[in-house]
Amino acid sequence: MRARRVQSPPVNVIIVGCGRVGASLAQDLDAKGHKVTVIDERVSAFNRLGREFRGEMIVGTGIDESVLRRAGIEDADCFASVTNGDNRNIMAAQIAQTVFNVKRVITRIYDPIREEVYRDLGLETFCPTSMGAALITEYFTDGVNRAATTAAGESAAR
Amino acid sequence: MTEKPYVIIVGGGKVGFYLAKHLIERDYELTLVEKDAARAEWIEHQLGSVSVMVGDGDEMSFLATTGIERAGVMVAATGDDEDNLIACQLAKAKFAVPRTIARVNNPVNVKVFAKLGIDVPVSATELLMGLIEAELSGSEMVRGVNVKASGASLVDVALPETSELVGKLVGDVALPGGDIIVCIVRRGEPVIPGPGVLIEARDELIVYSQTLDVEAVRESLAN
Repeated sequence: MRARRVQSPPVNVIIVGCGRVGASLAQDLDAKGHKVTVIDERVSAFNRLGREFRGEMIVGTGIDESVLRRAGIEDADCFASVTNGDNRNIMAAQIAQTVFNVKRVITRIYDPIREEVYRDLGLETFCPTSMGAALITEYFTDGVNRAATTAAGESAAR
Repeated sequence: MTEKPYVIIVGGGKVGFYLAKHLIERDYELTLVEKDAARAEWIEHQLGSVSVMVGDGDEMSFLATTGIERAGVMVAATGDDEDNLIACQLAKAKFAVPRTIARVNNPVNVKVFAKLGIDVPVSATELLMGLIEAELSGSEMVRGVNVKASGASLVDVALPETSELVGKLVGDVALPGGDIIVCIVRRGEPVIPGPGVLIEARDELIVYSQTLDVEAVRESLAN
């Protein structure tokens, strides 16, 4: 049994890419009372956010300084780039980290080799490809499905 | 004559193609990387004896097959800024390519690229804007040139009458950041900026600056 987590103070978050991950992350953080701004090139992508979403939506590319400024990056505490493109994610994250000095920057990189390179270069990264492979391997060898147990644990705690 | 470096060009669009053509005519050894097989074949046919490889310029395993570790220059010339940035960064970080040149499609990204370690970010749009601006302001010079990888620029500034520099001797002027007045253009004639030369209104100063921020230098001098 997990202790109920203390609500953390609200943070100012920018999310680049309103796909499945971007949208559900945005909804989660918004529901927890954080200030969320989502950037995507396609207006239609914002449909994923649903009606309840109270955050901001900016149409544009996350690799353009002026778009990022418009999204309020100068006051952001956290930044996540989760578009479909590895290179776009990397570039957006580097701009957030190097140009705007955002404290917490994380980026998704599908290509494990590229992920390693940019982790070495000082980016906070995650790679769904190697994470997925590791989970399946674990299930096959130990019989434990960690992804399922984690998700079940979380919904039980709610 | 110094030996010409081995050049890798990523992107066989118009820019990459004409660049390759130009360099081959000047006897450079080069490999052009193009991800579209049909386009690659067309380029090979057009340029004759050139090494065109089909692949992604941002894929490490592919780059390793291009002989990149002995390349002196990497030019990333695709139409996508993010791809150009990553190709150059990989070339530098993983294959120790000494000089990286990136085509910048969105001019806003020129400064960003410089900050993120690209030696020479080139934006055709920015160059054109500079030329047009110079044309409109009546000046006959390009407004600023980034000097190679040294992180320095040559900036030309037409001094307005209100500039603080007007009426001062060159020898008495200390420009911020140790910038140096290289030349004064007065009524179309170059004047060597010795310490005893008096700076006049409407002089055009050519300044060597240790920064790539051409606009900031211009502004600080004009005020």
